[in-house]
Amino acid sequence: MKTKIAIITMTVGVALLYAAQLPSGSAQESHVGTLTGNAASGKQFYKRYCIGCHGPSGDGQGENAPWIDPKPRDFTAATFKCRSTPTGTLPTDEDLDNAVTRGFVTTNMPSWNPLTPQQRADLVAYIKTFSPRWKTDKPGIPIHIPPETPVTIQSVLHGRELFQKMECWKCHGPAGHGDGPSAATLTDSKDQPIRPYNFSTGSRFKCGETNRDLYRIFMTGLDGTPMPSFADVIQPNDAWDLVHFLRTMQTMQTPDIALWKKYSSEHASEIKPIGPDAGSGGN
Amino acid sequence: MPRRFPIGATALRWSLISAFCVACLLFLAAFNRNAPTAQAAPLPGVHVKAIPAFARKYGLPCSACHTAWPELNNFGQVFRDNGYQLGNERDSPIWQNPSYFPITFRITPQWHRESTDNLAIDSIPGGGPGSTLVAGKVQQNGFDLSGMDLWSAGTLYKNISFVLLPSSDQNASWHFESAWVRFDNIKGSSWFNLKFGKFELDNLISEKRFLFLSGNGGIYQSYHYDVPGTTNDFGYGDNQLGVELAGHSKNSYTRYSVSVLSSNDGNPGFVSGFGTPANRGYDVNLAFSQAFNAGSLGLQRIGAFAYIGERPTYFETSTTPDGSGGTTTLQLVGLGNKPFYRAGVAGDLFLKKLELLPLFMYGHDNPYLGAGISSTSALPPGAKPPAWAGGFLEGHYYVNTQNVFFARVERIDVSQQPFVNAGFPTDYGNVRAYSFGYRWYPIMFSRAGLALHSEYSIVKSNGFLPLSGDGSGVQVFSTANPVWSSSVMLGFDFDF
Amino acid sequence: MNRKLLCLLPAAAVIFYTVKAGAGTPTPPAGSTISGKVTYTGTPPKMKPIDMSKEPTCAKQHATPVMTENVTTGPDSSLQYVVVYISEGDSGGAVPSESVRYDQRGCQYLPHVLPMQAGQVLQIFNDDQTSHNIHPLAKVNPEWNKSQPAGSLPIDTKYDKPEFIPVKCNIHPWMHGYFVVLNTSHYAVTGQDGSFSLKGLGAGKYTVTAWQEQYGTQTQDVTIGAGETKTANFTFKALPY
Repeated sequence: MKTKIAIITMTVGVALLYAAQLPSGSAQESHVGTLTGNAASGKQFYKRYCIGCHGPSGDGQGENAPWIDPKPRDFTAATFKCRSTPTGTLPTDEDLDNAVTRGFVTTNMPSWNPLTPQQRADLVAYIKTFSPRWKTDKPGIPIHIPPETPVTIQSVLHGRELFQKMECWKCHGPAGHGDGPSAATLTDSKDQPIRPYNFSTGSRFKCGETNRDLYRIFMTGLDGTPMPSFADVIQPNDAWDLVHFLRTMQTMQTPDIALWKKYSSEHASEIKPIGPDAGSGGN
Repeated sequence: MPRRFPIGATALRWSLISAFCVACLLFLAAFNRNAPTAQAAPLPGVHVKAIPAFARKYGLPCSACHTAWPELNNFGQVFRDNGYQLGNERDSPIWQNPSYFPITFRITPQWHRESTDNLAIDSIPGGGPGSTLVAGKVQQNGFDLSGMDLWSAGTLYKNISFVLLPSSDQNASWHFESAWVRFDNIKGSSWFNLKFGKFELDNLISEKRFLFLSGNGGIYQSYHYDVPGTTNDFGYGDNQLGVELAGHSKNSYTRYSVSVLSSNDGNPGFVSGFGTPANRGYDVNLAFSQAFNAGSLGLQRIGAFAYIGERPTYFETSTTPDGSGGTTTLQLVGLGNKPFYRAGVAGDLFLKKLELLPLFMYGHDNPYLGAGISSTSALPPGAKPPAWAGGFLEGHYYVNTQNVFFARVERIDVSQQPFVNAGFPTDYGNVRAYSFGYRWYPIMFSRAGLALHSEYSIVKSNGFLPLSGDGSGVQVFSTANPVWSSSVMLGFDFDF
Repeated sequence: MNRKLLCLLPAAAVIFYTVKAGAGTPTPPAGSTISGKVTYTGTPPKMKPIDMSKEPTCAKQHATPVMTENVTTGPDSSLQYVVVYISEGDSGGAVPSESVRYDQRGCQYLPHVLPMQAGQVLQIFNDDQTSHNIHPLAKVNPEWNKSQPAGSLPIDTKYDKPEFIPVKCNIHPWMHGYFVVLNTSHYAVTGQDGSFSLKGLGAGKYTVTAWQEQYGTQTQDVTIGAGETKTANFTFKALPY
């Protein structure tokens, strides 16, 4: 008899506990894949995982923020680096979920892949409650990315011309080492010093590691940083050429770098160095 | 008929007192719900793991890696599986800010009360003339210290990690709880990691990182149980000496571990758990688990394990005159190895904030181990392979990152005594254990940890001394009766 | 007693709505004006010459180095680049169809401070032989950052919410400017002599605000009748840093 009562009490207790946790329906939702994230559930995950850096009000003023460089994202500004949407527009829920899942290499933001997809979707929903902009604006429309063009030496060379013409080297340096003439004075939108990406440091970017990710970086810009969007001034197919050239400045073995190495060894004398044009009385 | 529960007046009084103390703590906690967030009971050999040095290094709060420290959540499990690396290229110690020092200590000053009955006590204290041994209860209470863990862990180099854990009991008597080096992500694959040294077996439900600290509650009975009378010293929860090949998927949903260990239950110096010379044998442990994503319920993990080992049944000896007319016999090496095994299944299940940890385990020893005789002799009549089946169901309820309730129900049934018709009751050696408690973390920052810990635990071991309890060394009065041992504990568990 | 009060109600309502409407509708062009001068007291900081040697195409456009512009003074202690506008009392008015123009020339923003109405089209031109990236650091409006290489088309954009937006170019860190997005069509930027004139106002009570990028805002209440011209002068306290 006592055992029966004990079992019934325990079952009812567990059921009550479970029911008490059901979310009461929140204004803010997210849609990631087939999942719907809920901000009320996301709030408890935020308090567990995110609060130490991003702070209880989501403004990046967490307890550890003073000792972290780069600083944690300020969600109240609704400005995000890694998006698939044009500069100045809000990212999609997928963009936010990708950022949480991938983490940001060379920063203190870890990859939260060990969390379940539902937990991450709930976190995305909660993050969107920190800024009123999510209520008034809709996310931007993701930019159209055409299929990648073939990796040929012509593509790499054209990309090199673009690197020169678009003056990427002014910040990134002629060899992409982040040592261009303007590199030392760069500050982000919160006036914190920031360095441009050094292509020789690794295979991963903050916003991903594939060619598609690289395409998106300069065609949507990294909002909140000095990196602008080139969507108005580079044609989509030309953008693929630039991607192929950028790969030659990294250290991994890629088809792009193989083609470039072969070309530069055979046509060394024809290659003009990247930098200020000779005609403008350069440095 | 043994009583189900000691509902004596004393027990009732102590139950009320502990309930009152838990209620006080709850009251305190309720007032401090929004307190600033950022933001080792004398257990028989159990020490636990939470390392604020990692929190300081990466800027994460304790709750990022721990459901409630020291228990790990899946994010913390991935960090540990990767060799204490987050993989964001900020793992090298050159990135640490000056507040990071890869060492931590943990100790739990506490008040506790231990009480064990059915012990052989002198009827007249002092044992004077006319005194006989009677069944009595030994109860002791007061302020006390736990042992201390001085734990260092981290990376020696990219993909080479280490742990060094000297641990002391409450009298500062030191031993090495854990000391190992691990080569992580061999050939760039998370499926190959090689660990070498003394380490905890890869149990799905870790005894080192669980939430219980009291004398009786602070061990899993199933992880240390051997059928009374057997000469096997093995405990599944004991740290072992050997080498482990382990692997995990990138998010640690799938994990496996294969270990080859010396057959001395992790005691260095070629010594067994009883202090006698160890054998030259090797044991094998296999463990596997798989996690499933159950949407909004959380991550569900189930696993299975098997430990196959051997222990000696006699010793190589040297008998020499001792200089006063007799002889001394030195034991040199354990010989006559006979096998035993443990096997089981376990789970780590989440219903949102409620975590359930079921475990079922079966143990089987060779009859020579049960009889305690040399393998060169014939088995005495009635000798059988000792076997037992046991397990527990543990539950944690995480109110939030700073409040957790926990409880456990455990039982062990001996399915085969070492001898038939040896005169013991049929339920001799069975164990029932019940524990519950509450932990409140008033601070949850990235710097250090503090928890107010309250716990009540009671164990019934039929006819033999409980594995837990006060370890006073007193003999059981009657093997026909159960021994009830209870612990009440209120402590400050801090971790720097 | 109660009935009298009740009768007053419709009268009150009529008066209320008339006043409201009157404040909202642009009064038939009676052409009142608020004008004045913005000056400073104390010692303003010395403006420094800008070193453009990192961008030779711009450096050679300036015979003498360009000076920083955060506190630009004129004769008789006047302050230039102060935006003076009606902050209260003006209903706003329709968004003008003309656009405003912002130039990047000689690695400078021209004009240094550009006021515009919320919703008005802004055209940004790059007249230099070098790339600029135009990075307005908006906090209320969306923040965006676009590259504008030499010879590219002007960028057309607009801002929907009133805000004082600092503008910078990351490639040329000395370039600083402001977009001042306002809700009113009555605004002016002081010139070298520090004077401003807000024309075409109707009779009424207005709050006039003067904003200088380093010294913040000052306000004054001005009540004018139809066809009147009133003076409102602003004096900022200048510190040498």
